Amino acid sequence: MKRLIHLHVNGESREVAVSPDQLLVDVLRDDLALTGTKKGCGTGDCGACTVLLGGRPVPSCLVLAVDVSGQDVLTIEGLATNGVLHPLQQAFIDHWAIQCGFCTPGMILSAVALLGRNPCPSEEEVRQAIAGNLCRCTGYAQIVEAIMCVANAPCAAPRD
Amino acid sequence: MEHQHIGTRNPRVDALDKVTGRAIYAADLNQPGMLHGSILRSTRPHARIRHIETSRARSLPGVKAVVTGMDAPDVRYTMHYIFDQRLLARNKVRYIGEPVAAVAAVDPAVAEEALELIEVDYEDLPAVFDPLEAMKPDAPVIHEDLARYPAKFAAVKYGNVCSYTQIHRGDVEEGLRRADLVVENTFTTARIHQAYIEPHACLANVDSSGRVTVWTTSQAPFKARNAVCQTLQLPMSKVRVIATEVGGGFGGKESLLDGIAALLSLHAGRPVKMVLSRWEEFVAGRPRQPTRITLRTGAKKDGTLTAVKAQYVYDSGAYADQSPGTTAYGATFAKGPYRVDNVHVDAYCVYTNNVISGACRGYGGPPQCWATESQMDIIADELGMDPFELRLINGVNEGDQLTTGQVCRNVSMKATLRAAAERAGWQEKRKANAPYRGIGLACHERGFGLFSSGVVIKLNEDGTYSLLSGAVEIGTGAKTVLSQIAAEELGVGVESISVIMADTDATPYDYGSVASRTTYTSGNAIRLAAADVRRQLFELAAGKLEVGPAELELRAGVVSVRLAPEQSVPVAALAGEAIRRWGGPIIGRGSYLAEGTPLEPGTVSGYPMGPFPGLVYNTQVAEVEVDPATGQVRVLKLYCAQDVGKAINQAGVEGQVYGGLAQGLGFAVMENLISQDGRVVNPTFLDYKIPTAVDVPQAEMILVEVPDDKGPYGAKGIGEALVGPTAPAIANAIFHATGARIRDLPITAERVLLALQTKGK
Repeated sequence: MKRLIHLHVNGESREVAVSPDQLLVDVLRDDLALTGTKKGCGTGDCGACTVLLGGRPVPSCLVLAVDVSGQDVLTIEGLATNGVLHPLQQAFIDHWAIQCGFCTPGMILSAVALLGRNPCPSEEEVRQAIAGNLCRCTGYAQIVEAIMCVANAPCAAPRD
Repeated sequence: MEHQHIGTRNPRVDALDKVTGRAIYAADLNQPGMLHGSILRSTRPHARIRHIETSRARSLPGVKAVVTGMDAPDVRYTMHYIFDQRLLARNKVRYIGEPVAAVAAVDPAVAEEALELIEVDYEDLPAVFDPLEAMKPDAPVIHEDLARYPAKFAAVKYGNVCSYTQIHRGDVEEGLRRADLVVENTFTTARIHQAYIEPHACLANVDSSGRVTVWTTSQAPFKARNAVCQTLQLPMSKVRVIATEVGGGFGGKESLLDGIAALLSLHAGRPVKMVLSRWEEFVAGRPRQPTRITLRTGAKKDGTLTAVKAQYVYDSGAYADQSPGTTAYGATFAKGPYRVDNVHVDAYCVYTNNVISGACRGYGGPPQCWATESQMDIIADELGMDPFELRLINGVNEGDQLTTGQVCRNVSMKATLRAAAERAGWQEKRKANAPYRGIGLACHERGFGLFSSGVVIKLNEDGTYSLLSGAVEIGTGAKTVLSQIAAEELGVGVESISVIMADTDATPYDYGSVASRTTYTSGNAIRLAAADVRRQLFELAAGKLEVGPAELELRAGVVSVRLAPEQSVPVAALAGEAIRRWGGPIIGRGSYLAEGTPLEPGTVSGYPMGPFPGLVYNTQVAEVEVDPATGQVRVLKLYCAQDVGKAINQAGVEGQVYGGLAQGLGFAVMENLISQDGRVVNPTFLDYKIPTAVDVPQAEMILVEVPDDKGPYGAKGIGEALVGPTAPAIANAIFHATGARIRDLPITAERVLLALQTKGK
């Protein structure tokens, strides 16, 4: 039996009919055509399906869609504003922090969440924050570099 | 020579789509009326199929097709070496996870439910899981018809040995007799999954005329097409394979699903999408072979190596797939990058009732490197020599030979060895005696650049270009690098090149984005195609400018007279001219197939490969700290001196190196796809751990550029070379730190602790 839920996805209010066992990742991908959210394992181990729920990173393959009715969901498609890339998106491009790109949306969103709660993280804190996002291509070096670069931009500026 | 686009850090041309979520992978595709396919897999390691009852599944509402092996043409196929495999099992299953039947239904849940309604009546057969057991004369026979299976090479096969390769050079027994020291050791490696984050996925559609189109996540769409054509007995004109974005491959993504999806679509008359679960990836993918390598090596007191006698045993799993090749590949490099005149290798590729093995970044090389480079340090220790010196004494030089007699060109072995040792501060750190800290190194030699690639370059009416390449962007940056090469050759900006890749109907043949080959072979094909475009432009411009074609040059979108640049004509004008008045549109074509220096007659038998067009070298250094109470090893730092010939894109090279080191680290200390009685017991990322951002140590890359004489701008293929030396460098560092020698991968705390307790005993 499907149920109507309201999702605030990427700043837009969306009404979707979902069954009680439907996962957020599937609703995003199949019902809302937001395929930027990737599905790599279905068990919350790889982080490819990471979205921000009220600003917190969550693996959307472990979240029931009915449970997040009314909450703010941010996917990779909603990160750029008015066609301007988020600084982390730009940094991932500049630092070649991308290879196959499959982990990239989740990786960027985990980094967005980190800088939201801790604008000037140490490298160790960056590594911890993305430890739940597996990447098999890059060895993480250029990803950490990209995130540190964005983190350092405001931190390096003189504080007055 | 000044380059505009070579050696830069040009941004990835696909980056914007990948950071905004707009890049389309196979699982993202949908079509009207699309069904979802799912596979029923064998639950038995070795069994006869008495009967498959599908009637209950067929009658489930929402099910549109159910197929078994009896619904596919009765053929055994291969994409590689031995024709031993079927699309879906017929009569017999040989591993847990083997596809037995498939269902297409209106949604994935119905498809899964239907699978549960299929009843398979199995008659269990004795099974064998250890290749050494499988080699015994009384072992259960896994392929009764092996002798009758056709092979693509002069395969030597018997019992459960699907390929026995022999490499012979000099007189190994005499070499061992001449040695002052003979050391024998056996080394083993674990089953390693490629663990790309994107699972296999494809969408197949058969149109009303019977033409099949498959959109798939494949590193090698032309091989995928070949597989579909063989299994469904269709001509290539009836099958089109298009590679979507590929979410990582590392050798594991060629064609697992395409034929099954196409068969379902044929039966259902509708498009069928299939996506593997992570569980299926682990139990029925194509992981790297578990291996067992025994080396008997002779050396003189001064360190000179006199002989290497080797036995290689690679676990092929239930079918041959790529394993005859990976086994022979490893065996080819059994002496390592060293001058050894007397070599004998017996290499056995053996069927077992385990999951099918395949290619995984390095194609048999990482196990070989683990064995050779561990053995080198054991010899150095026995002789009381510095491992660096031992390698320097024996390292190959220009003109030396591989075990097969192939002559090595553009050799950079010692350049990488010296560069890595110097940057790591080898001499000082080797002497430092901080307790339980150590430093180790390992060298590696690999072939690259096999097989052919074609490209077509079309000049558009406005002077921009379209580049059609059969290669695939699997994440390495190929699309960017090929754009850079085309831009360089055609004298335009990278943005003036539109790249269309990996469509078997629209792009020319390419063997695939595998085997460290795309930059080299497709890069060279682009140079040839661009020369073809230039020739046509000059011919046309010569008439307009009233000079000979040889006096012209192409630069910044303009053809001009070399000695009088003011006499010029824009390429856009020539493009228009060609269409209206001169023979039609300008299209350049380039095909490239490199030849290696030949093998020496009589050195090999049962050998499935040819000579390598190029060879590439690297050296890695590891610094470690060992906790003597727990055996826990912390890798503090990795250094990698990688010869790339010429870095077309510096940032791309860095990505290959850092990524390769992380995979090397996983192979060394973490990864092991464990199979018990044929059942994979850790089929999740929680239990099959790959390195996370907190697991990888600081890594430093030292770029070495010894140009390849045939490579584009001197470039070499490097992708696979990186994974080999990390594990032996770490093990050698552990020995330096503790005196404990590890011979089995992965290097777990338990193994280190045991080695610490038993060392010297």
